[in-house]
Amino acid sequence: MSELADAIAELNEDEAKRLVREKIDAGVEPLSIVDECREGMDIVGGRYKNKEYFLSELIVSGEIFKEAMAVVEPLLKGGKQAESLSKMVLGTVKGDIHNIGKDIVGTLLTAAGFEVYDLGIDIAPSIFVDKLVETGAPILGMSGLLTPSFESMKETVKAVEEAGLRDKVKIIVGGGIVTEQVGKYVGADAFTSDGPEGVEICKKFARETK
Amino acid sequence: MIKETMTSKERVEAAIKLEPYDRVPVAPLMDVMFPSRHKGMTVAYGISHWKEGLQAIVDIFDEVGGWDAMILPGYSLALTPKVASGVMASMGTRGYKFPGQDAAVSENSQPQYEERERLTVDNYDEIIKYGWSGFAERNRERYTSFPPEQIIAWAKKQTEHYAREGETWAQKGVPSLCGAIVESPLMFLSTKRSLTSFTMDLHRIPDKVEAVMDALVDDLITDTIEAARLTGIPGVMLVLERGGCFYYPLKIFERFEFPYMKKMVEAFAAEGLITVMHFDQDWTLNLPYLKELPEKICIAELDSTTDIFKAKEILKGHMCIAGDVPASLSAIGTPEDMEAYCKKLIDVVGDGGGFILSSGCTIPANAKFENFKTMIDTAKSYLPAR
Repeated sequence: MSELADAIAELNEDEAKRLVREKIDAGVEPLSIVDECREGMDIVGGRYKNKEYFLSELIVSGEIFKEAMAVVEPLLKGGKQAESLSKMVLGTVKGDIHNIGKDIVGTLLTAAGFEVYDLGIDIAPSIFVDKLVETGAPILGMSGLLTPSFESMKETVKAVEEAGLRDKVKIIVGGGIVTEQVGKYVGADAFTSDGPEGVEICKKFARETK
Repeated sequence: MIKETMTSKERVEAAIKLEPYDRVPVAPLMDVMFPSRHKGMTVAYGISHWKEGLQAIVDIFDEVGGWDAMILPGYSLALTPKVASGVMASMGTRGYKFPGQDAAVSENSQPQYEERERLTVDNYDEIIKYGWSGFAERNRERYTSFPPEQIIAWAKKQTEHYAREGETWAQKGVPSLCGAIVESPLMFLSTKRSLTSFTMDLHRIPDKVEAVMDALVDDLITDTIEAARLTGIPGVMLVLERGGCFYYPLKIFERFEFPYMKKMVEAFAAEGLITVMHFDQDWTLNLPYLKELPEKICIAELDSTTDIFKAKEILKGHMCIAGDVPASLSAIGTPEDMEAYCKKLIDVVGDGGGFILSSGCTIPANAKFENFKTMIDTAKSYLPAR
């Protein structure tokens, strides 16, 4: 494991910042810095899965990752680009303004190599569909914290069907109160109430839709 | 229906004291949302029309043949007539988008919390120096446009409504369990700083966060005891969500949540007040710590994400458990699903007493009436074969 990956995995914010700056100054290829950051985030995800880490460590590592990307990403422009695992459209559904879970998952997906189109909160079915069409993303992630969001999720799945995209798009729903029963009710392909588990499901979707 | 030999009040008190009861008491966490929709009003209307909203709750109570307790008597706030109390309430209510007030939150939605920073990291020093009351008085204009006398008048009116809600239920023979509501210092700071910023504070400046909590907790305790005294209802709801194992490792819980929870619960118990610990999200790993809290005067109220069956194993003989019909089951399940789940709760969590059948968090606005009625009926009719 690289020093930078280790600093992120250990949640050592100052050390991670210092190492990123040092590598840039030393002329290290920006893409390899991104890879090291992703390696650190992978370790964090593994520790979460093993119950060594909790949501707080995902948040802290996510913030460190974002700080690093803010410095590295401008240097990627025009140079070698990171290969995207898959495009993915993400958002909190119509009538729901909660963003915590969605934002955390969005950061984790980005760190895992997804090209995430985060539409934000209170997203109508047609907006989701338009973005799927525009980007050609084969994965849709919908978030919601309230029971009325189940209807919005269901309506969005229906809109995806009506747009003729259902067989091309894998759909995952997530949120604190999302259960298997909810997943079935809305017609999703998968459900989760656990961010890293959601990322693993999306990785599986990415392989299936390649 | 089971032949009843106890009043609702006796039944609920028996559950809290872990004594035998004639049947499992049932007490949904009921606010105005579901009753408003059931009555054909919008949630927005029910929330903004106190008398009609309260009547909607009473009507649904009568329609299902009643239940045993109101965890909260209605949806007013219990406040002390102080500027600091009003500022804290204002920070809380202004954090919400209410139905009909925002394009994203429809007239039939429930109020939704908007996650953003209402306290800055720079405010910490001021809270440490002046305490919560001093900070709130010095910063009043940041959080409310009302002058002190209007804040105090509003606080008095809220508390008067709260007490009247309690009286409404008392007249029907139904006890209300919580005469005041308070957040733990961690919950308070997390919601006012935002989850991400507060988590970074814990990571970057833990000693300062601890000092802020030390400066907050006594004011929270004093104010809550006084508010419960004013409403005349001998209990407190301690709102907990963000300090549990869903969010944080035990080392954070042990330093930043549990000592303050314990101090608060012990202070309330010393005044004869029960504490309903409102646990949102998963607290399964934290459950063993609850055995250090005063016995037979607390309720662990679970929302279906904590393992309630594990809770029973751990807390049996020490603390009453309430819960935990999932909101999703109320909204999209069938009466058969509901009956089966309630029977399982009664069989396992109700075994040997110390259980109140309840909703996991508030009955959602879009709950199906037949599901709700099934929950109430199952408590009244199902007697485990033992």
